[in-house]
Amino acid sequence: MNLRLHIWRQAGPNDMGMLKTYDIANVSEHMSFLEMLDVLNEGLIAKGEIPVAFDHDCREGICGTCGMVINGRPHGPVARTTACQLHMRTFKDGDEIYIEPWRAKAFPVLRDLVVDRGSFDRIIQKGGYVSVNTGNAQDGNATPISKPDADRAMDAAACIGCGACVAACPNSSAMLFTAAKVGHLASLPQGQAERSSRAMEMVLQMDAEGFGSCTNHYECEAACPKGISAEFIAQMNRDFVTSALGGKA
Amino acid sequence: MKAFGEIWRSNLFQKWLMAITGLLLVLFLLGHLSGNLLVFLGPAHLNEYAHGLRTMGHGAVLWGARLGLLAFFILHVSSAITLSRRNRQARPQKYVKVEARSSTLASRTMLYSGLLLISYVLYHLAHFTWGAVHSQHYAQVSYILPSGEVVPDVYTMVVKSFSEPLIVILYLLSMVMVGLHLNHAISSAFQTMGVTNRRIMPLVRVGGPALSVIIALGFSAVPLAIILGFVKI
Repeated sequence: MNLRLHIWRQAGPNDMGMLKTYDIANVSEHMSFLEMLDVLNEGLIAKGEIPVAFDHDCREGICGTCGMVINGRPHGPVARTTACQLHMRTFKDGDEIYIEPWRAKAFPVLRDLVVDRGSFDRIIQKGGYVSVNTGNAQDGNATPISKPDADRAMDAAACIGCGACVAACPNSSAMLFTAAKVGHLASLPQGQAERSSRAMEMVLQMDAEGFGSCTNHYECEAACPKGISAEFIAQMNRDFVTSALGGKA
Repeated sequence: MKAFGEIWRSNLFQKWLMAITGLLLVLFLLGHLSGNLLVFLGPAHLNEYAHGLRTMGHGAVLWGARLGLLAFFILHVSSAITLSRRNRQARPQKYVKVEARSSTLASRTMLYSGLLLISYVLYHLAHFTWGAVHSQHYAQVSYILPSGEVVPDVYTMVVKSFSEPLIVILYLLSMVMVGLHLNHAISSAFQTMGVTNRRIMPLVRVGGPALSVIIALGFSAVPLAIILGFVKI
């Protein structure tokens, strides 16, 4: 199939960017979206032009490295799918595709479609850990965890930190990401020691990074490639106010 | 331990403030609505109710409620302004193309419906509380309660006001705005306060919009019934 791509090109963090139009021919419907971009880049390199920069790593939909807004939707039109797992059969011959980077003050563009997601790392550093005893690892079954609790923790831990929630949110809020991390550890006995301070510290770091606040549109939930539920946001809201009123954090 | 000031300034605490004050304002609306519907029971009921509100605790209850409402209103609006400003700053560069998936007209226009509601509340107070607009209908008439007390005739004031098509249209449009705002507001407030979980989330996401429709229709019933001639002097 033949496609017309409108891709955000920006040379560096402080440069003005703009959409540039590329026509690409003979795209196979079996290609992934990133493979289609690889083919585009091969052509650009052959012509002596600078290839389009984009983040990618596992290409299996589990690492959270890739991410771009495809036709106004983070990771493209297919629900619960990362850009690397999006296949060109989703599109049809003659389609025009708009490709833009995640847009948020807290995710500055480094180049083209690559953004700096260091703000997520700093949120994790504020509370995405648990206290453990040093020495030998304890017996695997020493701490009983019910199946529903384990499932719930896994639902939250499925977050790959790709940032699609921020990209989809009209306020560039990182509530779903942060709530997934808070909710993951809050569902487990190991996470209880820092539960109160975790919600407070991570929420305040989110503000400090310049993310917006939640207006409950649930665009994040719809865009999340791992289908993380906004119920974790409600849980983080509970933990936050418990911490604020309890004065523990 | 974090200082209270730092927590107060945080986005999430501001959201809590907006949610709690918003829900308190919705509770007020439900009380207001139940009072309004007394118009269907005739002048004696409505006028006695209005007189009772004014004289309860020698007016202390009325003024307490007014000051409380004013405080909730100010906190609600100030948190909305703070958060909207920060949310705008959070995305300095807009997308060329955006496809919404789950946001609604109501959720995307909360700031605008809210701003229109502020102007409506001022107009509504000027109309029925201050008598500054449509003063030709403002309670100059008195009504004698079954107990023999002479009180202002709120019933006649309401019926005369809503016999004017322009006033009815203004109020009906405002109730559309109330419905639009609450359509997102009620379920949103429960989510922000963290009351929702997996079990009750579906209920909240359906119940909030349903309550908004009930409130908007309930308030609209009074002017509609009067202009259509079902409620007369």
